[in-house]
Amino acid sequence: MVGKAVSCGLIWDFTVSETADQSQQWVLSAMQRNGQELVNMLWRILGNEQDVCDAYQNTFLRLAHYEGGQKPEHIKAYIFRAASNVAVSMLRSKRAEKRLFTDPAAGKEVSSAANELDSKYLQEALRCYISQLPEHLRNVVTLRDLAELSYAQVGRILGISPATARVYRCKAIQLLAVWMNKENERK
Amino acid sequence: MKTTEANKKCRQIRAWLYKAINSRIGLGADWVQNHIANCPRCQRRVTSLGKVNLALSVMKSQPHNLDLLMRANAQAIGVLKHSLRQAPKARKLRTLLPEPKLLERCRKYKRSVANVAACIAILLLMKIGIFSSMDKLQTEGQKVIKQYYASHVGQELADEIFSA
Repeated sequence: MVGKAVSCGLIWDFTVSETADQSQQWVLSAMQRNGQELVNMLWRILGNEQDVCDAYQNTFLRLAHYEGGQKPEHIKAYIFRAASNVAVSMLRSKRAEKRLFTDPAAGKEVSSAANELDSKYLQEALRCYISQLPEHLRNVVTLRDLAELSYAQVGRILGISPATARVYRCKAIQLLAVWMNKENERK
Repeated sequence: MKTTEANKKCRQIRAWLYKAINSRIGLGADWVQNHIANCPRCQRRVTSLGKVNLALSVMKSQPHNLDLLMRANAQAIGVLKHSLRQAPKARKLRTLLPEPKLLERCRKYKRSVANVAACIAILLLMKIGIFSSMDKLQTEGQKVIKQYYASHVGQELADEIFSA
């Protein structure tokens, strides 16, 4: 009798673990389906491979623990938004760290007119300004320009129409241009 | 059914409108270019817009190491629960390398496909041209012979011969 109960318990445990495995398999499927696009987007936002790996890990960890292991309704939308948010917060904290540990006088010397066409400088400046954009504009720029998704896909992910995404992107680019222009004038 | 058709038409018209407006008041339009040439403020605006676009394209063109996806997958899988880490899919993901999309893979054949299509089009046009000129030649020849018969044997007999 006791033996039977033990074997029943074992079978029960096995089936429970099996269903738990099955229920989280979608995390791996999502990784397989969206991994490449996600890595490309993170690389463009962060520009550092270790940061990309950290942000990627953080994104999937969030996905696995979403509402106690529940599967989100739109996985792609969730992953892209979470990755973009993680990357931008990493950029912000990096910028704050840089400001703390560098001498402001030294910074002025570095930022000269010769830097204007330096690709590294341009990228850094743009990354910095993208992280300062309002959330709705930033999301569109990261998804459209850095993840290279179509306006229809961007609209679907953010829950807006493609036309609205187009307008937001236009506004974001204008704002970025104004900020870049202001910086040049300051110099 | 009707509403989907109406939506389709509406979408088409919006796309046409967007193209038409873009060609007339886009940055490439002549009158816009003329204005920019004479307006220092607009020159500054266009320069800064160009700078943003340049920075975006530089960001897009920077390549990363080929194994970045593999490393990112391995790191992310490492923090998932044990059962997922041991799954066969996880093992596959740990060694996954980026693969070009189907469109990108087909891009190298684009030129040869275009050449073949152009050749086929030329052949078709030639064929159509040859057949139509053959038909023309035949009808013109018939007319000439009919006229010859009409002038030598009479109109009625010529009609009878050529109507048969």
